[in-house]
Amino acid sequence: MPSTPAIETIGLAKRFNSFTAVNDLTFKVSEGEVFGLLGPNGAGKTTTIRMLACLIPPSNGSASVAGYDIAKDASKVRENVGVLTENPSLYERLTAYENMEFFAQAYGLADQSKRNARIRELLEFFDLWSRRSDRVVTFSKGMKQKLAIARALIHNPHIIFLDEPTAGLDPESAKSIRDLVERLSQQEKHTFLLCTHRLEDAERLCRRMIIINKGRGVAVGTIEELRNRVERGHVIEIALKEVDRKVVETVKRLNHILNVDTNCSSGLMRISVEDHDSVTPEVVRSVVNAGGQVLSVNVLRPSLEEAYLKLVKKEEGRGQLV
Amino acid sequence: MKMENVILVFMKDWREIRRNWQIILPVVTIPIVFSVFLPLVTLLIPYLAGTSMSATQGFESLINNLPSQVQLEMAEMTEQQRTIYMIALYFFAPFFLIIPLMASSVLASDSFAGEKERKTIEALLATPISDSELFLGKTMVSFVPAMAVTTLAFALYSVIVNAISFSVFGGRMLLPNLVWLLLIFGVAPTIALAGIGLTVIISARVKGAREAQQISALLLIPIFILLFGQASGAVVLGPLVVMALIGLFVVIDALVIYLGVRLFHREEILSRLA
Repeated sequence: MPSTPAIETIGLAKRFNSFTAVNDLTFKVSEGEVFGLLGPNGAGKTTTIRMLACLIPPSNGSASVAGYDIAKDASKVRENVGVLTENPSLYERLTAYENMEFFAQAYGLADQSKRNARIRELLEFFDLWSRRSDRVVTFSKGMKQKLAIARALIHNPHIIFLDEPTAGLDPESAKSIRDLVERLSQQEKHTFLLCTHRLEDAERLCRRMIIINKGRGVAVGTIEELRNRVERGHVIEIALKEVDRKVVETVKRLNHILNVDTNCSSGLMRISVEDHDSVTPEVVRSVVNAGGQVLSVNVLRPSLEEAYLKLVKKEEGRGQLV
Repeated sequence: MKMENVILVFMKDWREIRRNWQIILPVVTIPIVFSVFLPLVTLLIPYLAGTSMSATQGFESLINNLPSQVQLEMAEMTEQQRTIYMIALYFFAPFFLIIPLMASSVLASDSFAGEKERKTIEALLATPISDSELFLGKTMVSFVPAMAVTTLAFALYSVIVNAISFSVFGGRMLLPNLVWLLLIFGVAPTIALAGIGLTVIISARVKGAREAQQISALLLIPIFILLFGQASGAVVLGPLVVMALIGLFVVIDALVIYLGVRLFHREEILSRLA
């Protein structure tokens, strides 16, 4: 397989008549990386995956997947990627095994014994082996989702597009999917493009991610980088037995303090600083020296959810940030 | 193009169709109506009415346009024999062109439009199966069952016609004859293929199977023209006309398949859907 980047888009755009679903999207995904595509409903995530999976042509821009141009080598791209589509996209009148067998053959698994072994391996992994002879129409939503993921992996692709992989799954199954993605990316260097609005999945799995809204890239980077985009600095939260005015004044006089908020009833003091690593020991020492009785100290960072919401909201009113 | 991929698509769809009564029912009942019920009712009337029946009055212009050899043969027949001969060999012939078209239109309309409705199309289009393999696989899954029911319908029709002709013509069996063999194994497959090809192209361009079926129903118009043309005597499905039809539809088939393969681009299917 060609070397990195596994996926690269440059100014990718898709228009449906007058509606622009994706606009000028640029990002790179390295081999073995789990890259998140985050955004609210209708942001353009699924359209992006469809373009990269060569299901629809881009209106503008270019992209390569596994080293192949999506416009010129669509067939090669399809051979090299596994796709979990937005809908499970399963043939409900066929059994689980028949579905798997059809897609195994469609992806070129010609050797029957190898094909059977692969199907068994995947169906056993997803706890579906005992239901292999049942028609998919009898499956629950979660079972269908698991079968659809198994189908995406049938030809052991190096690049896998997962559109909302844990949607409809119970917590245990969702965890097994996350574990699988983690294992395949870390041990077997599979590349994942994970399209989700479940930030829990993104936080746990994605090394880097892009937030898109209304078809445009809002921000791209690691979770840390995205957090830093919405809030420069940190908040040190100190719980005191009693909030004393002298303590507050002492802290305010320290260098590198941006702001101090207090809540007398709960005994909490929130101190905004630029860099908590260098400032926290000095702040705690000053509080103690000023007579404050410290019960606990926490460094607060904006969660990915907060960062995501702020970035999306911020973008609503202005241009692209990427 | 890999034939195994064409067969793979065909087998997958065939498995699905076999388990879908909404599709199987019209595909099976239409041929039974045309090959069993209608002929039974139409042929039994002159058969039971005996020699007093003079239904050939309505076929006068058709008889006048028949080849002279057939006219000579008919001149020696009784009124009852002539009526049954005309109905069995000429009146019902165009119906056997409707059967493959109607059966295949149900199947072909479901090809891509049905997959869109059931939301299974994306995973299929994401596979490395080529556009032409997909197109031909979908065409084949409509063609094979349509021709199977047409052949079966012809066999049933032959049994009914021969059962009646055996007693009316003193042991003579009217079917199969050359014209009918050419009709069933020459015109029917070529006309079905043309209809299927067009319907599959339409099916890839509309949102639902019902929409595709409604549009593809227009393809029946030329057959109805043929039906009324023959009933009025303007056209007679004799050997020459049948051979000409085969030639015409072979050319149309080649054109439709060429266009189908050229026009069918998977990337347009979801773009239209979005």
